[in-house]
Amino acid sequence: MLPLPLFRTLILRPLRRDLLRTALTILAVALGVGVVIAIDLAGDAATGSFRSSLETLVGKTDLDIVANGAIEERWMRPLTALPVNARFAPVIETQGVIEGAGSVTVYGVDFITQAVNSHARSVATQDLDTSAIVSSALAKRMNVREGDSFSLALSDQPCKFRVASLVDSNETEFVLLDIATAQQVLNQYGKLDRIDVFVSPGEDFTRVEREIRSILPASYRIEMPGTRSDENQRMLRAFRWNLRVLSYISLVVGAFLIYNTISVSVVRRRPEIGVLRALGASRSCVFWLFMGEALLLGAAGSVAGIALGRVMAASAVSLIADTVNALYVSSRPAAITIGIPEVVTALVTGTVVAFISSLLPARESMEVTPVEAMGRGAHEHHARMHARRDLVWAILIGAIAWPVSKAGPVAGNPIAGYGATLLAIVAMALAAPAMIVGMSALTRNVAQLFFGPEGLLAVRGLAASLARSSIIVAALATAIAMMASVAIMVGSFRETVIVWLDTQLRADLYVRPAGRAGAGEHPALPAEAPALAASIPGVEAVDTFCAMEIEYQGQRASLGAGDAAIVRRYGRLRFLPGEDRDAVLRSLPGQDRVIVSEPFANKHGVQVGSVLELPLGDRTVRVVVAGIYYDYSTERGWVIFDRSTLLKYLPNQAPTNLAVYLRKSADGSQVRHALEQRLAKYRVVVAPNRSLRRNAVTVFDRTFAITYALEGVAIVVAMLGAANSLLALVLDRRREFGMLRYLGAAPSQIRRMILLEAGFLGVAANMLGLALGFALSLVLIYVINKQSFGWTIQFHPPLALLSGASTLVLAATVIAGIFPARAAARLNPIEVIHEE
Amino acid sequence: MNLPRLELRRASKVYQTNGQKLEALHEVSLALEAGSVTALVGRSGCGKTTLLNLAGAMDFPTSGEVFIGGRATASLNENELTALRRQRIGFVFQFFQLLPALTTLENVELPLLLAATKRAREAARERLEWVGLSEKADSYPYQLSGGQMQRVAIARALVHSPEIVIADEPTGNLDDASGDQVLGLLRDAADRFGATVLVATHSAEAAAMASMRVQMRDGRICAVERA
Ligand SMILES: Nc1ncnc2c1ncn2[C@@H]1O[C@H](COP(=O)(O)OP(=O)(O)OP(=O)(O)O)[C@@H](O)[C@H]1O
Ligand SMILES: [Mg+2]
Repeated sequence: MLPLPLFRTLILRPLRRDLLRTALTILAVALGVGVVIAIDLAGDAATGSFRSSLETLVGKTDLDIVANGAIEERWMRPLTALPVNARFAPVIETQGVIEGAGSVTVYGVDFITQAVNSHARSVATQDLDTSAIVSSALAKRMNVREGDSFSLALSDQPCKFRVASLVDSNETEFVLLDIATAQQVLNQYGKLDRIDVFVSPGEDFTRVEREIRSILPASYRIEMPGTRSDENQRMLRAFRWNLRVLSYISLVVGAFLIYNTISVSVVRRRPEIGVLRALGASRSCVFWLFMGEALLLGAAGSVAGIALGRVMAASAVSLIADTVNALYVSSRPAAITIGIPEVVTALVTGTVVAFISSLLPARESMEVTPVEAMGRGAHEHHARMHARRDLVWAILIGAIAWPVSKAGPVAGNPIAGYGATLLAIVAMALAAPAMIVGMSALTRNVAQLFFGPEGLLAVRGLAASLARSSIIVAALATAIAMMASVAIMVGSFRETVIVWLDTQLRADLYVRPAGRAGAGEHPALPAEAPALAASIPGVEAVDTFCAMEIEYQGQRASLGAGDAAIVRRYGRLRFLPGEDRDAVLRSLPGQDRVIVSEPFANKHGVQVGSVLELPLGDRTVRVVVAGIYYDYSTERGWVIFDRSTLLKYLPNQAPTNLAVYLRKSADGSQVRHALEQRLAKYRVVVAPNRSLRRNAVTVFDRTFAITYALEGVAIVVAMLGAANSLLALVLDRRREFGMLRYLGAAPSQIRRMILLEAGFLGVAANMLGLALGFALSLVLIYVINKQSFGWTIQFHPPLALLSGASTLVLAATVIAGIFPARAAARLNPIEVIHEE
Repeated sequence: MNLPRLELRRASKVYQTNGQKLEALHEVSLALEAGSVTALVGRSGCGKTTLLNLAGAMDFPTSGEVFIGGRATASLNENELTALRRQRIGFVFQFFQLLPALTTLENVELPLLLAATKRAREAARERLEWVGLSEKADSYPYQLSGGQMQRVAIARALVHSPEIVIADEPTGNLDDASGDQVLGLLRDAADRFGATVLVATHSAEAAAMASMRVQMRDGRICAVERA
């Protein structure tokens, strides 16, 4: 039971009196909650729409028939002849470029039999090869109407199409062509991307599936619609989990802040609690008084956090969408929608964090006995006594964190890694008091030597208000550790990728189709491009690469084929330790042997010598893994064939990229010019090695921009906490400052002393934080990243960045001390010395 | 005898609280000489602390003047006031006011450190020996009794050999024996170091050991007795 009048006088009134501190606490909670909400909202929006826009037009399909490579159109006939009540619709899906409107999705569907689509009927048979149906949203952007012509480029040159009709399908943009037209333009005679199956109502679903299965080759897959979308979401799960965990940092830092606020509140009101207890208030009444304060702050912070989260999500969504497009799959960012679930999440998160972090201090309030009115001195004395015991706990918990970090993933999630991280933070927080006591003892003479009596008073003062100062240090150190560990991880990753790019990109020029190609999209080059490139003077060798997306054991993977001989001659592909590159590459041509990337091997538990069963076209091929190489291009993993082997199974597979090696004597820019001229009639891009590397690094940096943003928020929360706690520290020690003035301290000395305290706190936090950060970075690199994405990152701490950031944090801590320092210097000594 | 060390001339202090005026001191005049102990007695609220604050240059009269070493305190700027406190005045408080984070010796040393005086440590040891607590030099305040703490506070107040020592109810929180010890030290400070000691007190013992007893009532001095 919580008597309201008590709550008002003991909790609400002080909150109102200390408005600045109350506001700082609420803001910090709001930032913590806001970041969590923002990452969730932005993540949903950025990955929200994998659904085919075709679905909005033709209705929901019941089954999809898909295959690695392509589906042979000849299977349409036996399918339609099946004795089932179902309709089969062949589909081609690709990207095209419209002049002035950019890249759009283009579908090839059967205009004649696509009965659901009433608009297609209006296309006359003789006009099929020049007619297009355009979605109204796209037409509006292109500024065309029915009957207008527009130019659409699919593979080679742009073709003219007439807008036969417009279809309304919400905001999605696409172009429909007749399937025969699409095949012709794409040079894909007899090939389909998928076959949509519509089962009539009343027909037995499983029977249809069984009948289809009975006639199709085993390598063809029959999927429920939404499988792809689910798959995409599943693929993104690790990525989103990591982001989400990063977003919790601010919340953890915020928890320290609430803990601090409530313990300040309890310590300050010990005498009142003593009186209350003497007057008959129960222990639980006192407990809930302070829990009430925490929950109030938590709830207020949550409400503010929802608004803040909505704002932050808007800026986060494009960052996340960039990453998803660069690393995973193409997706169109959807609108940010804030609904009941988000509001509930925010409220629950904020209040639960407030609840948990205030449990300890509120419990402490219960222990105040009726007769006792323990002062701050005794309270701090207790804290000092506990410092050693806490250190023992810290060492113990730290020791547990070590084996925990070694545990394997749970359902693909590096739960153990996160657990170890949390344990390490707890250990660090418990070590903070001992750290301050130790530092204060060690630096006592040094501090006095360098900073005079203010230095001595500052280090001693920190040790004296240990309960308070260790919380500030723990909160700051957590933020710093997170910042440092993520910075080390990203910096190491970046360095690793740069080194890898050097081994991977050995050719002088690269040729690829023009237009945007997101992760998982491999548009084809014209079949004659390799020969054209090879015929140019100065070109020594052309490696013809073709890539496609496949499905292996229910997971997305990339399949590629290149010329092993050329890679062996020019390339520097790095294999896992113990594998002889030359021998591995030599063993590929003509054999059913492949090499796979490290993420693929880790994901599927593949080793050298393992046999993979790969569905290719309408057959299933068994290949032996000859080697595993380091790769950081995609976490879904690569399976690489020699070109000769792949063509055996998928003849006429179009090239997707060319790597052009020049003679030593050749003039790079001249050859590039010649190449561009020779290929001018195709829509291709010829990029020199340098620009490709630069682009890769740019994509990398953009990908990790969001992590820096998240760390920034955590640091801001920690700064708010530091300012808040320093302010409390000053208010509680004002008698001390008053007394110092009586003893002849100048106001400037008081100010200097507080700033020095802030500085020492910053130094202690930096030392603890950086130490923890290095430890956590090892967990991130060797446990969490490895388990989430499957690749080995070389350890390369970005020392310049780290020292810059920690200097910044130190400066910020001192800046956070400016206001409290001024407040302390301005205190009226007569007033403060006589209040008791 | 030459100029008085500390002199109040018709000093008044008026407090303004929520529009209400309260005259805590009314035209108080008082002159104190070197080596004297003055006891300030009177009922609670009669203005003792107010007077001490004026005498210690922590506060200034609303009218009249306070002279320390011949200079009016109101004419001094912040730096000069700080210097004055560092060199000429020592304070003893009712609640000791030792810094819990510092050892006994460091607490005593503190005024010298703040003033950046040389040989602070030796001076502090000397004073600690004077109050008879040499063996507690490295103890922390929480390890001392109330009487010991107050003796440390007196050592601190005298570490820089101030001309004026101001003590506000120094025995208010102590038992009789400890109180006597503290009073003896204050007397000794006047006799041995020639300090001008001004003590506000409720205790009869304190009043008895003083060389001058100043009786106050409602912000005025109503009687002065010399021993
Ligand atoms: N800062 C202030 N603002 C307003 N009134 C004050 C202030 N300080 C003291 N007073 C008033 O001035 C009067 C004298 O106070 P003072 O503290 O000098 O009394 P005192 O003699 O020291 O009493 P005690 O023996 O209880 O310490 C009292 O009526 C007090 O209420
Ligand atoms: Mg008084």
